[in-house]
Amino acid sequence: MTEGSTANPGLLVLEPRPASRRVWAADVWAHREVFAMLAQKDFQTRYKRASLGVLWAVAVPVLQGVVLAVVFSKIVRFGGAEGFGAYVFGGVLAFSYFSGTMAAGVTSIVDGAGLTDKVWFPRVLLVLVPGVANLVGLCVSMVVLIVALPFLGVTIGPRIMLLVPATALLVGFTIALSMVVSALHVYFRDVKFLVQAALLMWLYVTPILYPKELLGGLAPWIDLNPLTGIVTLIHMATLGGDEAWVRPVVVSIVATVALALAGVEGQRRHDRLFVDYL
Amino acid sequence: MTSEPAIQLSGVGKRYWQVNERAMLLKSLMPFRRVDRRELWAVRDVDLRIDPGETVGILGRNGAGKTTLLRMLAGVSQPSTGQIRIQGRVAPLIGVGVGFHQEMSGRENVYVNGMLLGLTRAEVDARFDAILDFAELEGFIDTPVKFYSSGMFMRLGFAVAVHVRPSVLLVDEVLAVGDIAFQLKCFERMRALKSEGATVLIVSHSMHAIRLLCPRVLLFRHGALELDSEAEAVIARHHELLSIEGHEAGSGGGVTVLERALLDPSGQQVHHGEQRTPLDYRLRLRFERPVDSPQLLFYVVAQDGTLAYEMKTEIGRSHRRFGPGDEIDASIKFEPRLGGGTYRLLVSIADLHGRDFLLRESEGTLLYLAPPLGTAGVADLGASIELDGTEMTDHASLLLDARAPDEA
Repeated sequence: MTEGSTANPGLLVLEPRPASRRVWAADVWAHREVFAMLAQKDFQTRYKRASLGVLWAVAVPVLQGVVLAVVFSKIVRFGGAEGFGAYVFGGVLAFSYFSGTMAAGVTSIVDGAGLTDKVWFPRVLLVLVPGVANLVGLCVSMVVLIVALPFLGVTIGPRIMLLVPATALLVGFTIALSMVVSALHVYFRDVKFLVQAALLMWLYVTPILYPKELLGGLAPWIDLNPLTGIVTLIHMATLGGDEAWVRPVVVSIVATVALALAGVEGQRRHDRLFVDYL
Repeated sequence: MTSEPAIQLSGVGKRYWQVNERAMLLKSLMPFRRVDRRELWAVRDVDLRIDPGETVGILGRNGAGKTTLLRMLAGVSQPSTGQIRIQGRVAPLIGVGVGFHQEMSGRENVYVNGMLLGLTRAEVDARFDAILDFAELEGFIDTPVKFYSSGMFMRLGFAVAVHVRPSVLLVDEVLAVGDIAFQLKCFERMRALKSEGATVLIVSHSMHAIRLLCPRVLLFRHGALELDSEAEAVIARHHELLSIEGHEAGSGGGVTVLERALLDPSGQQVHHGEQRTPLDYRLRLRFERPVDSPQLLFYVVAQDGTLAYEMKTEIGRSHRRFGPGDEIDASIKFEPRLGGGTYRLLVSIADLHGRDFLLRESEGTLLYLAPPLGTAGVADLGASIELDGTEMTDHASLLLDARAPDEA
């Protein structure tokens, strides 16, 4: 909660305009320990009363991935060659992080009202919490994916390292979108339901459960979906070879940067106004 | 003490938009939509300077802007006009136990709460024993707080807040809960913080707490600062406003109250009384319809609605017939022998047989009585307790008069 001149570091000045970019950024940084504590609390309390505890953070997405991989590679067959199980599994793990984080992220500021109308910290921390708390589950799931690959008939190569940028891009995009929709949700409470509906459709407009080639002429359109680039990177890491990877990945990066800029700016400008609408 | 104020407000206002229909995403995207909203100033044009080490009370009816002001001082909400400058760390005690999670233990919650109030993890570590000691929770600190009683919950929350060593402590209504012993402990702790140079702002409906702790009191009315003065004057004005505004609702029936005044022995109009000091409640009434020998009933009602006292003129005693427009003076003389608190003085007028009511007040006039020290309850029995022959109820030594100079 510091602001203003270096001559008087303990001074907080509140005016009818948002804090400057520099002051806001410094404020967010000053609250890093609070953020770590909030993320830890979110992670712990979620699994507090379950006897398997934190294991669920991994078990749920993995189970989801296994079920869908089996269904779409053994029962519903969209063609798909060798390793289609791995194809589905990787995509589902990524999507499960995305949808789980978005569902919590969109309401994060509104749900945090009990905290936010009493003590000050940049509200953006609340938005970052689900993204970071779910990261633990995502990383462990990625390890499970790597371990499972040989059993799914896929040989692991150095290309597996692509999982790192893929995960980074996934987390970046998810958090950037969360920042935008959580701010909108404070003012328009329809946003939560729009996001829920969008998540439902999003799984099917991303090449996760079917090979992209199946779409034929529609394939270029699916590249405009920022998740396509992320999933494509995962497929390249596990199965290799996708000559048309550049376009979807560039779309993902551009979308992530644009949303992050809009999200940060929105969060900064409305930081001390959100509370009036909670 | 520096010359820099702890808190400075210049021209501060807070506007809310009262939207008559819910904000709709689709509607807001439509061009040329009619904006159906009204502005509402929760706080307007407040200029204020509070120096380090001051303890200031804030009074006002619900909706007077007290909570909005505290929110802005807590840094949670930005003003719509003006500027607020706050020096140092603010510990908002606006709700006790901010961020407490029911499933987490007392220990974990101390860290969450302490860090939200601005401590680092290391600072919480260093203060943990002192916090635990203050909260009197040994043996329960590793129990999830959902198993805590409300008193334990409150004690833990308060313990953390006062150990943050804030420059500015904002207290909202928390003194209303907790047993007397813990309340005294909280008062003591606030005095200690104050002597360390902390600035304390207290919003409370408890005149008792305000009187004991705050030499300076601010009265807010309709979002504006109505009065900034010493405690007695502000409490008196507050009760006066409560009485006046209570009547704006109006009374119906056959009798109108034209004037009312509560007078102390010197004939001064007052809104607070002293124990066992006679008061004279004077009313001037006008009859709107004819009535024969009406009966007057006088009630004293405690804040929670308990009837503390009732007295009426003899029923059926014929004295006079009144026609429409006739006026009458009533004088009700009494001596308060009640416990501390705010009471309502209510009057009813019934017909000769006590059946038909021409007036039945629900707001009346407010009377504030300071509690005799060390007592609570609705009556003042003037009790004293001796232990082995020594009088143990002389509370003069406990008097936490904030106006007294601070001992080193």
